[in-house]
Amino acid sequence: MVKKTCVAMLLAGGKGSRLNELTKDLAKPAVPFGGKYRIIDFALSNCANSGIDTVGVLTQYQPLLLNSYIGIGSAWDLDAKDGGVTVLPPYSEDSEVKWYTGTASAIYQNLNYLTQYQPDYVLILSGDHIYKMNYESMLEYHMEKKADVTISLIQVPWDEASRFGIMNTSEDMRIVEFEEKPTNPKNNLASMGIYIFNWNILKEYLEMDAKRHDSSHDFGKNIIPALLEDQRKLFAYPFKGYWKDVGTVESLWEANMDLLAEDCELDLFDTSWRIYSVNPNQPPQYISSDAVVKESLINEGCTIEGEIEHSVVFQSVSVGTGSIVKDSVVMPDAIVGKDCFIEKTIVPSGVIIPDGTVIRSMDNEVILVTEDMLSELHSAY
Amino acid sequence: MKRKLLGIIDATTYHEDLEDLLTHRSLAALPFAGRYRIIDFVLSNMVNSGIRSVAIFPKMQYRSLMDHLGSGKNWDLNRKRDGLFFFPSAIVSSDYNKIGSFDLFAANMDYFYRSTQEYAIISNCFTVFNMDFHPLLDWHIHSGCDITEIHQNGRSLELYLIKTSLLMKLIETRHQTGYSCMRDVVQDLHHEYSVCHYEYNGYAVMIDSIENYFSTSMDLLEKDVWRKLFLKEQPILTKVKDEPPTKYLNGSAVKNSMIANGGLISGTVENSIISRGVKIGKGTVIKNCIIMQKCQIEENCYLDSVILDKDIKIEAGTKLIGTEKSPYVIRKGTKQGALMNS
Repeated sequence: MVKKTCVAMLLAGGKGSRLNELTKDLAKPAVPFGGKYRIIDFALSNCANSGIDTVGVLTQYQPLLLNSYIGIGSAWDLDAKDGGVTVLPPYSEDSEVKWYTGTASAIYQNLNYLTQYQPDYVLILSGDHIYKMNYESMLEYHMEKKADVTISLIQVPWDEASRFGIMNTSEDMRIVEFEEKPTNPKNNLASMGIYIFNWNILKEYLEMDAKRHDSSHDFGKNIIPALLEDQRKLFAYPFKGYWKDVGTVESLWEANMDLLAEDCELDLFDTSWRIYSVNPNQPPQYISSDAVVKESLINEGCTIEGEIEHSVVFQSVSVGTGSIVKDSVVMPDAIVGKDCFIEKTIVPSGVIIPDGTVIRSMDNEVILVTEDMLSELHSAY
Repeated sequence: MKRKLLGIIDATTYHEDLEDLLTHRSLAALPFAGRYRIIDFVLSNMVNSGIRSVAIFPKMQYRSLMDHLGSGKNWDLNRKRDGLFFFPSAIVSSDYNKIGSFDLFAANMDYFYRSTQEYAIISNCFTVFNMDFHPLLDWHIHSGCDITEIHQNGRSLELYLIKTSLLMKLIETRHQTGYSCMRDVVQDLHHEYSVCHYEYNGYAVMIDSIENYFSTSMDLLEKDVWRKLFLKEQPILTKVKDEPPTKYLNGSAVKNSMIANGGLISGTVENSIISRGVKIGKGTVIKNCIIMQKCQIEENCYLDSVILDKDIKIEAGTKLIGTEKSPYVIRKGTKQGALMNS
């Protein structure tokens, strides 16, 4: 194996249970986002755009779709001869199957993958977030600071700070304290779950942690506190820009709606930092004479005969005449019949909404079309 | 069909009527339907019909065609065995409009010798169609014909099916027989070969002039036509561009149009084909137009019956009007200002 300066480990095994039925059959990183992408496209594209060509993707929960989606990584130009993408599922050893019990255990069980590249640095990423970030700049910062570990931080609104892992830093950005979901945060700098480790430090602490039976084998809960206790050099890397954890139906909807703003902070049209995805190879979208399209994102393969207002519509969706789709997200291959009214709703992939259906929120909460709802709709129809 | 049929695409054709759109590219690479090049149709038909070995004979200005096809990956033709082959012509002065010129093939006889496929389909590069070749091959085999020419409403589509061995014989004996291409063979009645016509009832249009390029494009806006060309189980494959979905901004009003990805639309678009990555400014009206890749049309323009080639910038306030018979064509990479046309 050719030695690598930096290898990325992308944690993609999460269930994302707060996304309800959206993650019934697929892992959270595979959830569709932004009209043509899946959530994991952002981290993988960031790797490709940052010049990181060796990426281990750790999968566990419902991996079928994710595995076939990633394939050999060619969509992200990561089908390299040396390195490229390697999907790393849990495996059995001797008498037991070693499931990934935490973020740290997932990496620990793949130390042999990392060892073969003898990297200087390991970049740990999460496949759950929507953002564009140059990891190379973060790596340069890490080297400059001669840090053992660098953690990327983002400013979050003060009233939300208690939902995150909050880092307290000294003036030179050295991390002095880490508080997981503090009730009274001293700071509003939250961890983005992006870490750069010196390889030897990562190895040492993962091996140490693996022996501890009281550990939950989690970076935030165990590894980072252990490093701080030993007064290792942990530095904060302040990130500025769009970043969103789309862990709930509400936040997933919100992040999609963010894309519709004229001056959206997350610029999908920036050709210098493209977000790549597996191309569905569909013809251009067809907007009929009866259609009205306002402030929306619409992907290829769609047939729009109704009214789309302030919505995100994925590939191969059809919307019939007389229908109004407003403030909604319609995922791939969904069919909205004629004369429907759909508002503030997420319509999952492949769902068929019968003619004349009305789906609107009564309490201003985002509606996710579920199987129960559908069987009710279809039987009523 | 995998190992049975060779695909041969003659990409040397040049139509003078399309000159304005062919200064930087060959006819095969002419953009069509917002995201395709004309050659995508026959190439996808071949791939969808299970053909695994395709030879393309390009000529003149083939840079854009090479760039488009690359290794053949987007058509799944980047294979260890068989795959996509390029045979640029070394012959400078052969007739442009002979589909399947034997001189061209003769220069690359090794391809035919090395191929194991029993039959070959020889095609032009400028037909817009979505055809499954399986029934054609079955028909050809059962009919016992030596050469099958595909027809539509009695007119040749310049698409031929022939045994590879017979094709090689015709190529090698071209000087004795005087046949210089497939058309010569099928039009001559004084030979021993049986020539049959296979009537194709599906949608097929040969693009040979600006007028018919324009009208064929506009026909795509008919749902019936669009549905015949873009079939889910027989997709037209093309080069992937990784454009984001098209964004409709405040002020956009789009009717009866086909819009490719990567667009930023703030103006009015009616009865038009908009390619990938096009920007249309506020207050601008685009009617009955074909706008190719990466064009930028600034605010308050008015364009009716216009074909904009790639990378054209139309400055704010510009008015351009063509007609259905003779659309206003602007060549690639130019800039049009309001004052330039007054």
